[in-house]
Amino acid sequence: MGRTISLNINLDDLPADQAADLRRLIDESDFINLDDAPLKKHTPDQFRYTITVDTGKFQHTVHTSDSSAPETLRPLLHDLLERTRTKERSG
Amino acid sequence: MPHRHSIFCILPPHMLEQIAQNGTEAQRNFAQQTISASRQARDLRRGRALNLAMRTAVRGMAAAGKSKQRAVYSAQFGTQLPGVLIRNEGDGPVADIGVNEAYEGSGATYDMYAVAFGRSSVDNNGMKLVSTVHYDKNYENAFWDGEQMVYGDGDEQLPASQQLFNRFTISLDVIGHELTHGVTQYEANLVYSNQQGALNEAISDIFGSLVKQYRMNQTAAEADWLIGAELLAPNVNGIALRSMKAPGTAYNDPVLGKDPQPAHMKDYVNTTDDEGGVHINSGIVNHAFYVTAVEIGGFAWEKAGQIWYRALTEKMTSTSNFQDAADMTFESAGELFGKNSLEQNAVKLGWSQVGITVKETGSTPDPTPTPVPAPNQGEGCMTVLLRAVGLVK
Repeated sequence: MGRTISLNINLDDLPADQAADLRRLIDESDFINLDDAPLKKHTPDQFRYTITVDTGKFQHTVHTSDSSAPETLRPLLHDLLERTRTKERSG
Repeated sequence: MPHRHSIFCILPPHMLEQIAQNGTEAQRNFAQQTISASRQARDLRRGRALNLAMRTAVRGMAAAGKSKQRAVYSAQFGTQLPGVLIRNEGDGPVADIGVNEAYEGSGATYDMYAVAFGRSSVDNNGMKLVSTVHYDKNYENAFWDGEQMVYGDGDEQLPASQQLFNRFTISLDVIGHELTHGVTQYEANLVYSNQQGALNEAISDIFGSLVKQYRMNQTAAEADWLIGAELLAPNVNGIALRSMKAPGTAYNDPVLGKDPQPAHMKDYVNTTDDEGGVHINSGIVNHAFYVTAVEIGGFAWEKAGQIWYRALTEKMTSTSNFQDAADMTFESAGELFGKNSLEQNAVKLGWSQVGITVKETGSTPDPTPTPVPAPNQGEGCMTVLLRAVGLVK
């Protein structure tokens, strides 16, 4: 459909348990060491994701897609997608 | 007029198609003649002649001698491909409806390309059609990954009031759409961005729609020209993902937003989102095809489809843009049906209705519009910014 969905999350605004879950997912994905290069291959109809983590001291961005996402990143992707769906459906 | 055999009036078309693919050489030749004759007879009854391109395509399919091979796997809600084999070619239906839909849908796509276009599978060399269903959890999408089909379940697991999408195997034109990305990959291999990508998307919608029309034996006038009509959940305010007949009218929903597709070049969307608007500006090309098909009349795969298939397989390159497609389809129509034929004029009309004038004496492609960056820099499908103090160790 060509829809672009954006979600901004400030961990300080989340309940403590949700913030802890997200921090754990980011840590377990080894996010800071994931490749930050733009995606080269454009596969038709796949979802493409741009995830930025900003700590205030530094910022790291990962570009990925459904088929190229590292396995370690998928739990974080699922969590963020679920939050996006909840946000969409709640209006 | 071919000799009338007693079997001529008894066998249904799909059985003839099976023989045409799987029989001995003699059986295939007979089935081809029968298919050709039955279509000719039907067309004569309707007052239309079978075109040379279709007869040639049928003969080509007999020469190919490749049979349909399908396999459907389940990813079991994970992301490892292909997953667990559930149904192989020749196996009967299983309890899993998504598996059966993927099996039947890929078969219907294979059949249309084989009989109507003389093409042996996605690669024109009998490539096995592999599908994986139940990809990931609540995955609201389907895609061709370069080697196989992948289908999500939508959000069928959510309460009805929250559902947006059904399982993606439910829509035959979506199955045809995704497999056609494979055809394009093996033919023009259109770059998946900007106008080239929108053309790539439109070609998938065009042939995806033709798969459905072929399966349902619909004329261009009878077809709904909708893509993904079965996908939207009941509480979504919309009728489909896209409309080739009326781009921009498929949905207008509080959650999904409004269908953004333009129907004319004056409304071309310059953006960096969606690879340069490939799912958005495809509406322009879709509408050009719709106008052409309806203007010609009859079954769209017999003439309009043949014109576009010729352009895709013999003329387009990876960098072909909308103007190139207009010129190439116009040229193809002239080659297939004659200069200034009804069919060629229908192609010209289709493109003029969307604001593109075909160049009748050689073409110099217009420059691709320079994308203007969208205000909120989104390059991909989802941008997430997480702020966390003291996160990194």
